[in-house]
Amino acid sequence: MAEHAGVYLRLAAASVRATARRPAYLVVRFLSAGMIVVIEVAGVVLMLDRFGSIGGWRPAEVVVLFGLAFTAQGLALMFGDTLEADKVSELVRRGTFDQVLTRPTSPLGWVVASYVDTRFVGRMLAGAVTVAWAADRAGVAWTPGRAGLAALAVACAATIIFGVLLAAAGFTFVTVQGSEAVNVLIYGGQYLASYPMQIYGSALRFVFVWVIPIGLAIYVPALGVLGRQGPAGLPGWLAWLSAPVAGAFAALGGLAWRAGIRHYVGTGS
Amino acid sequence: MNAHPVIEVEGLCKRFRTRRGPVEAVAGIDFRVQPGEFVGYAGPNGAGKSTTVKMMSGILLPSAGRVAVCGMVPYRERKRLARRMGVVFGQRTQLWWDLPLEESFELVGHLYRIPPAERAARLARLEEVLALGPLLAVPVRSLSLGQRMRAELAAAVLPAPEVLFLDEPTIGLDVEAKAAVRDFLRELNRDQGTTVILTTHDLDDITRLCSRLMIIDHGRLIYDGTVEALRTAYGTTRVLVVDLAEDEPVQVQGAVLARAEGRRRWLEFARDEVSAAELIARLLAGHEVADLTLEEPDIEDIVRRIYRGEAPP
Repeated sequence: MAEHAGVYLRLAAASVRATARRPAYLVVRFLSAGMIVVIEVAGVVLMLDRFGSIGGWRPAEVVVLFGLAFTAQGLALMFGDTLEADKVSELVRRGTFDQVLTRPTSPLGWVVASYVDTRFVGRMLAGAVTVAWAADRAGVAWTPGRAGLAALAVACAATIIFGVLLAAAGFTFVTVQGSEAVNVLIYGGQYLASYPMQIYGSALRFVFVWVIPIGLAIYVPALGVLGRQGPAGLPGWLAWLSAPVAGAFAALGGLAWRAGIRHYVGTGS
Repeated sequence: MNAHPVIEVEGLCKRFRTRRGPVEAVAGIDFRVQPGEFVGYAGPNGAGKSTTVKMMSGILLPSAGRVAVCGMVPYRERKRLARRMGVVFGQRTQLWWDLPLEESFELVGHLYRIPPAERAARLARLEEVLALGPLLAVPVRSLSLGQRMRAELAAAVLPAPEVLFLDEPTIGLDVEAKAAVRDFLRELNRDQGTTVILTTHDLDDITRLCSRLMIIDHGRLIYDGTVEALRTAYGTTRVLVVDLAEDEPVQVQGAVLARAEGRRRWLEFARDEVSAAELIARLLAGHEVADLTLEEPDIEDIVRRIYRGEAPP
């Protein structure tokens, strides 16, 4: 795949150019994605203000965690939003995915590159601003090492979220298949009467988009950024464990995606 | 000449599991397509047409049987085959919807690794044949259906595929646009030797373009031969349309009066019972005739009768 990276960059550039042809629309989406972060951060700050501190963490320090998570979500969704169940089933329903399979490229590369969603740059930037603002309030003295840890946290959390989205997309291929088969016969696959069931509820989503990324990829590096001691016996090098953990999520997501495609194409039965 | 078939299909089956139980969409079909053939693939809705095409283009894996396209197993060598195969689905687009048309051609060039000089040369020819010049700067979403279909064809053949799969390429097009698409396909097949598999409901497409017709129904191939042979095999009734000099009752041995309108008479007769020449001789012996024409059986009519099971395969 690496040797054809140029093709995917071109596809991604084309999708960005397509959005850029409607600049007003782009700006509105961009701003609204950023505004959501501002509103959510304000909510967190107001809530934390009532408690004063949580488990010895000051509100500004907690907001740093959230800011890192927002940035990671923005990064992951910029490339992975198209892997959401409803979007994947739409690709299948419209026959677009069949066309993707007739292209001389990796289906995943095609789908991700062709549907880059620049709106999430707004979420990323708002997240980064939140981190900078809250870190300042928390009295963080930035060093290259701390900035590196923050970047590591964002990259790993984003990889985890992307891996989860990838797995969900793989699963969507299985749920959408049953109805697709019927419709292939009756309508030539052009109409799909029933959408796949909502495969993950909001609680599960909360776990995958907030709890797991913060817990596995953000919490420990953030300790280093904030210069805090973690629970007793938590060694500093644990922060670097985020990378293999994130890699494992991405790998499992990739396996699930491949299994989903194999099922879609019909080897799975 | 290349002696190897472009497409080889043997005992091909596809079963789907549905809520109502397993369904056999394709129930064991066999055929070969030689390089340069123009094959029409027809059948009623749900007959298994698109499932067959999906198995040939690597989108679906067969449940049983064998399929090879350009000597490759479609799904296993999906990407390699994709470079030698073109696909056009009439109701979907392969183009970049929001971008000017020329950008689609540029992207196709990169995707299929066509050297820039080669791409420019091929594109110049396609622009001329398909009259694309004025459309290049127009976003695809603003093209009319006919313009878009010409653009789709250009994008599909830009990589110079050996095989072209077309699914309803003329659906929804007006007469002029249909003619443009058909002319282009005919020339492509004749001049480039591109093998074309055309899936369509429009039998006019088939009679005008295809040297060979395959009809699938209930997952089985029920006809595979030339359009002419189908006419001879199933279209046993021909019609002699006669304009009489005077309005008078007509009776000719071997023919049945099917319709009468003014001085015009439609005389139906069986191909294997009496020849047209014989019938005309008998007619002229008893009547004065101003004009006459011979109507061959309508292919659409024959196919409809085959679908309904009235003409046994």
